[in-house]
Amino acid sequence: MAIRKFAFLVVLGLMATACGNGSGNPTSSGPKHGGTLTVAIGIDPDTLDPAAQTTTTASQVVDMMVERLYTLDSNGATQPQLASAMPTTSSDGLTYTIPLRTGVKFSDGTPFNAAAAKAGLDRLLNPATFKTQPGVLSVIDTVTATDDKTLTVKLKSPFAPFVAALTQTNAAILSPASLTVNGNTPAQVKVPVGTGPYVMKDRVNGDHIAMTANKDYWGSQKPNYDTQVIKIVPDDPSREALIRSGGADVIVSPPLSDLPSLSSDSSLKVLKAKSDRTLQIIINTVDTNQPLLQKPEVRQALNYAVNKDEIVKNVMFGNATTLDAPMSKTLFGYCSVGTYAFDPSKAKQMLQAAGASGMTVKLGSPTGRYPQDIKVAQAVASYLHDVGVTVQGPETSDWPTYLGHVNVPPAQAAFDMHFLGWAPAYLDASQQFEQFRPDRIPPKGLETSYYANPTVTDLVTKAAAEVDQQKRKDEYCQASKQVWNDAPWIFLYNQSFPIVYSAKVTSVGAFPNEKFDTRFASPA
Amino acid sequence: MLTYVARRVLVSIPTVFGVATVIFLMVRLLPGDPARVIAGVLATPEDVDRIRHQFGLDQPLYVQYVTYLFHLLTGDLGTSTRTGQPVTQEIVSRLPYTMELAVVSTVIAVVVGVTAGVIAATRRGSALDLAISALAVFGLSMPVYWLGLMLIILLAIDIHAFPAAGAQNPLGFVLPSITLALFSLALVARQSRSAMLEVLNQDFVRTARAKGAPLRTVLVKHALRNALLPVVTVIGLQFGALIGGAVLTETVFSWPGVGRLLVDSIFSRDYPVVQGVVLMLAVAFILVNLLVDLLYAYVDPRIRYS
Repeated sequence: MAIRKFAFLVVLGLMATACGNGSGNPTSSGPKHGGTLTVAIGIDPDTLDPAAQTTTTASQVVDMMVERLYTLDSNGATQPQLASAMPTTSSDGLTYTIPLRTGVKFSDGTPFNAAAAKAGLDRLLNPATFKTQPGVLSVIDTVTATDDKTLTVKLKSPFAPFVAALTQTNAAILSPASLTVNGNTPAQVKVPVGTGPYVMKDRVNGDHIAMTANKDYWGSQKPNYDTQVIKIVPDDPSREALIRSGGADVIVSPPLSDLPSLSSDSSLKVLKAKSDRTLQIIINTVDTNQPLLQKPEVRQALNYAVNKDEIVKNVMFGNATTLDAPMSKTLFGYCSVGTYAFDPSKAKQMLQAAGASGMTVKLGSPTGRYPQDIKVAQAVASYLHDVGVTVQGPETSDWPTYLGHVNVPPAQAAFDMHFLGWAPAYLDASQQFEQFRPDRIPPKGLETSYYANPTVTDLVTKAAAEVDQQKRKDEYCQASKQVWNDAPWIFLYNQSFPIVYSAKVTSVGAFPNEKFDTRFASPA
Repeated sequence: MLTYVARRVLVSIPTVFGVATVIFLMVRLLPGDPARVIAGVLATPEDVDRIRHQFGLDQPLYVQYVTYLFHLLTGDLGTSTRTGQPVTQEIVSRLPYTMELAVVSTVIAVVVGVTAGVIAATRRGSALDLAISALAVFGLSMPVYWLGLMLIILLAIDIHAFPAAGAQNPLGFVLPSITLALFSLALVARQSRSAMLEVLNQDFVRTARAKGAPLRTVLVKHALRNALLPVVTVIGLQFGALIGGAVLTETVFSWPGVGRLLVDSIFSRDYPVVQGVVLMLAVAFILVNLLVDLLYAYVDPRIRYS
């Protein structure tokens, strides 16, 4: 039996080799096409079911096969995808009328229409769907197919970033006919069938996901590679080795320390894509173990004590930008609010004035969750030490254990300060302000600074329902200034999302929420 | 013999039951709320609660335990909370990859290791003996992770002889097998050397030489056969360990085996898969031990099981 399986594996391997990398056939105009593109990612997607997506790593693969009503462009702006235009909104902000594209077909040949769109959103909202994660979209009350090309969505309460939230992979529209074939059930989808430029071919868990081009793709841009193979390569140095040995054409997140040498390799190209992830030291603002941290001026002093620019330059190897607001620049609602320029003597003075000279704090950091995470935490600890703060730690553990330590109500807080990243699922300030809302204090959310400022809460509540986009922007800007002043974090940096690809490939792109975009890549 | 096997199998049932219970409790002692880990940091409290309910994690511990044991008796290892696939299917889809590496690297380790050990023993104190012993120490102390990366740099990046990662290429197994074999090989070489040295000093070897038997016959038929028992034990234990998946090797070479399944499952707090893999590992160890005991009787006819 085992021997037979080996034989099968060998045959499979031979087939994979036979498929090989095509050279790409030049055509008279437009991009070259043909061949196979191999992309190496770091995490084996848990599920390809759009409704159950929790990581960008898995979502970016699903996005190649299944599309949403709205999508992001490479700058992060919301654009229609399966919708034909932006929706019209009722004056009370409760009813969205979404016009849909016509003549679009799913890759199984069945037509995309309002009924299919309704089925997709209903499935997301149905609690029987396996691991479904509607998240903020549970604000949807009813979805109605008004006619074949119009979808009407009624909300339970006004929710201004609704269209932005529809860009998430969990709002993807599957072919309703596909829910009962290929081992799929309405409750659980293993083979996602959508309208996307690629179609699922096969998957070996832990090894690869292969997709073939959708020859009848509706969009003006067409898939150029006949096949795209997503290889699962969990180890960063192994991904780098793979692209250097020619075993992959595109890799994400190489070891940051090797980016300079990768950049200087003429056979490779490096794309430092934008990310919406902010990295920060979260301060327990209601700390009873170290009550000095309850004072805003102490928290501000800690911000002055840390040299963020040096951390970005030397620990992150330049793959980040120092924060100048409590969110990344790519979010709707961002405005630059200032800097805490590195000033250790000012920090010392402020600490002294607050009676916090020589205070002791306990710092925590995960290892392996974010690029260079524990090293950044160590650098922060050393800067704090320089202004006379005694830092215990950084204590560290693997991610699930760490999450278990920080995702606790204030009474059980394990650290005085802890390192955490935050990456909104869609590019709207409302997602970032999940970090500054007292109604998101664990166990209700992950606001682990336990920060509460009524001014901020009011502004954020108002902004969530605000229909006037300019007013919304202003409200978030005002709230950002307040948060910046109150300093519930040591604001560190917004990281970038490096992608390395072979010079033999062109049109490799990315979205500013840590997703690569190889849908329309082509041989150079 | 058959009675012996039946008795051994029966005796191992409490062991398996014990392992099942211990691992059930151990995964639940790990810090970290599985529902939150599965749902992700951005999930709403409602999403987290729904997921907790879908996996029965909101039920009291004893209810979870009884359900688990009941399902186990019917051969059902449960459903992966990470992928939603049956645990049995998850393991079965990964096992061939792990077996492939385990078998190939064990063959390498046995053939090269025993040969090296015998050569070292017969030329005790020579430069060759010294070299083999030094290489064995190297093999035992070399971090797998480093060795794997070195092999990738030399043989995959510099001379493109083998693929750097993955199981899709038919030659993909070569580098991970070598990496994996080195430790066992060193262990087997040392064990064979010392066992051979012990046997070579015995009277029956001198007698065999004295009566004029050719050196080759003395070494292989008389000495090695007698030295094999401890070597077989080492090989058995190593093979058992390898079935558990060589976590580091599988990670460095992106090999989709059981070891990585286990690591992925631990990091996503996928209780059913962790339980399933550990149980499978326990059963594999029991079977390999039984096999080794049976091999003893073959290697040394004086041993009889009845």
